[in-house]
Amino acid sequence: MRFVLSAALVLLAGCSRSGSNNTLTIAVNAGVEGSALKAAAREWGEIHNTRIEVVELPYANLFEKESLDLQSRTGAYDVIMMDDPWFPKLVAENGLTPLPRPPDTDFLASTLAVCRNAGTFYALPYVGNSQLFFYRKDLFEKYKLGPPDRWQDVLKAAQTIGTGEKMYGYVMRAAPGNSAVTDFMPLLWAFGGDIFDAQGKPSLASPEVIDALRFMLELGKVSPPGYAGFNADEVSAHLLEGTAAMSINWPAWIAAMDDPSKSKVPGKIEFAQMPSARLPGVAELGSWLLAVPSASPHRDAAFDFIYWATDAPQLTHAALRGNPPTRRSVFLSPGLVKKFRAFPAQLAALEGARPRPRTAQWNEIENAFGVALSQANSGAISAEGAMQQANREIAAILERSK
Amino acid sequence: MTRRLPPGLVWVAPALLVLAALSIYPLLYLIKVSLSDARGFTFEHYTRLFQDRLFTVAAGQTLFYALAALTLEFFLGLALALLVDSLAHGRALVRVSLLAPMLLPPVVAAVIWRLIYNPEFGVLNGMLRQLGFHTANLTWTSGRTSAMLSVILVDVWQWTPFLFLLLTAGLQSIPSEPLEAARVDGAGYWRTLRDVVLPLLKPTILLALLLRAMDLLRIFDQIFILTQGGPGSATETASLYIYRTAFRFSNFGYAAAMSFVGLVITTLAARGLMRLMKIS
Amino acid sequence: MKTILKYSAALLAMAFALAPIYWLITISLKTEIDQFASPPVWFTFTPTLRHYAGIFAHDAFGHYFLNSLIVSTCSTLIALALGLPAAYGLARFRWPGDWSRGISFWILSNRMLPPIVTIIPMFLMLREIHLLNSLAGLILVDVGLNLPFVVWMMRGFVEDLPREIEEAALLDGESRLGVLLLIVLPLVRPGLAATAVFCLIVAWNEFLFALILSQTQSAMTLPVGIASHVTQYEIQWGAMSAAGVVAILPVLIFASAAQRYFVRGLSLGAIK
Repeated sequence: MRFVLSAALVLLAGCSRSGSNNTLTIAVNAGVEGSALKAAAREWGEIHNTRIEVVELPYANLFEKESLDLQSRTGAYDVIMMDDPWFPKLVAENGLTPLPRPPDTDFLASTLAVCRNAGTFYALPYVGNSQLFFYRKDLFEKYKLGPPDRWQDVLKAAQTIGTGEKMYGYVMRAAPGNSAVTDFMPLLWAFGGDIFDAQGKPSLASPEVIDALRFMLELGKVSPPGYAGFNADEVSAHLLEGTAAMSINWPAWIAAMDDPSKSKVPGKIEFAQMPSARLPGVAELGSWLLAVPSASPHRDAAFDFIYWATDAPQLTHAALRGNPPTRRSVFLSPGLVKKFRAFPAQLAALEGARPRPRTAQWNEIENAFGVALSQANSGAISAEGAMQQANREIAAILERSK
Repeated sequence: MTRRLPPGLVWVAPALLVLAALSIYPLLYLIKVSLSDARGFTFEHYTRLFQDRLFTVAAGQTLFYALAALTLEFFLGLALALLVDSLAHGRALVRVSLLAPMLLPPVVAAVIWRLIYNPEFGVLNGMLRQLGFHTANLTWTSGRTSAMLSVILVDVWQWTPFLFLLLTAGLQSIPSEPLEAARVDGAGYWRTLRDVVLPLLKPTILLALLLRAMDLLRIFDQIFILTQGGPGSATETASLYIYRTAFRFSNFGYAAAMSFVGLVITTLAARGLMRLMKIS
Repeated sequence: MKTILKYSAALLAMAFALAPIYWLITISLKTEIDQFASPPVWFTFTPTLRHYAGIFAHDAFGHYFLNSLIVSTCSTLIALALGLPAAYGLARFRWPGDWSRGISFWILSNRMLPPIVTIIPMFLMLREIHLLNSLAGLILVDVGLNLPFVVWMMRGFVEDLPREIEEAALLDGESRLGVLLLIVLPLVRPGLAATAVFCLIVAWNEFLFALILSQTQSAMTLPVGIASHVTQYEIQWGAMSAAGVVAILPVLIFASAAQRYFVRGLSLGAIK
């Protein structure tokens, strides 16, 4: 009996190893962006008679898997999708293969900037995400509110709508980690603060940052209770259900907002630029990139695929699936502009979008920062206390990495 | 004089070998990793450990979680075991129903409760609102104290059945003579419970507590899905912190050091508990 | 009166245990709008099988299911095959000094090893022998998780059996192995069944190792597949709950079949 089992085991060990010559394994994000790449990969696979194996994982898990694969050089993945803040970490220790030929100039400069390390390109930009400000146009008209150009306007509008209607004026996500930090950056920048100063030292304890955080807490008062634990799905659910009137969000959600099978308020939401405060509003860049790990056994095929997938026709397909492109020509193509009323605003936002700080310790920094933000938003500590704590921990992180 | 190997060794050897390969080697490797970083041998992970406020907080919260969950699960499990044992009909049906939660993958249980706890759309607040309660401030997994309690509740929901099962088995294995004797002596229900049943149940109780405690100290799946350690670090447990340090920050050395220290502590605790059990 | 109270309490407990599972099932059958509706919809909704179709057609769910099945059954069988003899050896033979207790404690202490502790070395070990991202590797790990439990449980069951039958057989010339297989094995069947079901459930629901040690679909199990539906932008409640329902069906079926062994089996053994 045991004999049979061991034989079976050996057989299993054999069969479960993929790596036949005509396979391509891609690791994608579980979401709109990943779905688009999956579809593209299947199409490419049929053209080239190659079997495509897809690994689809949620955001944080995707990073862990890719980071582990690159570090231990297991070569499990041929093509990986990465959020741009991950780039510095993944490119370290020669984890990624340099591009065989440089990307062409149709790509937007802001998206290309995050694909470079020390002058060499290691990735191609696939999705050009920059945050937009979502707000209920119909309610703004009802209460005769001007457009939300400044954060102060946003707060006042939220308070008005919140009192007048049975809903929340604003909604945001402040779950520790990526959620809290991503939603806070535009506020931080608009108030004139930043994570690092010009010398690269952590500057979260500055008055501008604390003002921004205090403002965030004010917004929190007109947001659904529990927002200190919200992720993107809760934010969007509130918008879709019509229980919140405004939020920062990513263009990936635009399609759902207007889809009657998912949204109770189709057509009522407007997508605008980031509000300003002391400084003009700046959208945060969130670009998804495609790269080829250096340990991949199918590098040539992998590069062939990613150049094809980031070409104009494929980016157009991806755009139709809800992913903003990274090529100017695609943004300006008449067919898409007719379909996506927000494209002109998005292009402008994307060109001026600002990436998060480029550091290999970003994950740890985002974690420390996110925890402090979440604690401040749940009332555990004061705004000053939170930012001083974050500052200290980021300094320690930088110190340890030297 | 040659010493003969114990005859039973050949029976135990295969199991021992497999376990040794899966635990001794990894443990040695773990210690090695905990004492090195990119530059070579170093103690710095351990020194950092003793100054790391977050680790102490995580460890303390793990302990709180374990004690609270264990206490609730034990008393509920015992009460249910006694209750079901005393039912005249339908025992099997009740038992099967009560066992259901512990069959779910913890991951699935956590996602379900995450939806239940959702302050706006979750069924918990929905029902409370229908009963007339104000749910505006009931944010379950987002409040500082309520987050920990909410997470503990999920554990209690899922694992009380485990204690219920073990204690039921224990109750069934109590011989009838002492119970008869007590009845003949005129002892009432509570007297019998206190003086006859519980003492006879002691070995089962200790075993149940030991098994459950071991699993509670390494709790991970539910918290990972429900709160990711938040809000802030209100539900951060040791396993979560170690996991994140290893796989998100790629700091294997520090994670290894924390794991080792955690292992030492839980081994000592388990040793103490087992002494209580007086294993034969 | 007391009976009414008792039955009411039992019913309440049952409701508390089953309601969330019922909720899981309804979510898997609702459209997205119904899922998030407020006030919550318990019964009056139009069901859809879309989510179930989706997970099998688009999400490689059949693959995860098969993987979980293979890993659980193989690791349980191997754990039993290694654990029963070990339990027998500890229970029936004479050991010098405190060895028996020491070995038992050491075996049990492995159960205490938090997976976090072994996961990094395990990852690297399996990579060396090319068992990373494979079902065989996961089976190995799950054997390690379940073996201590098997030894611990079965030792109690074996010790409970009267020695006379075995001794008679030995005197008759039967080998030890024969005694184990022909006499002991049938007698400990209830305990074995209970232990086997526990092992199956543990392996079926195991998450952390399956998460880290698998890199592609060929090696991913159900819990990993389910967790991967918890995305950043949109928790796919429908898909995840459909997956959850299908994930618990085999366990429920097997558990209710072996149910009568549970209580009896546990009460016969290891309760010392």
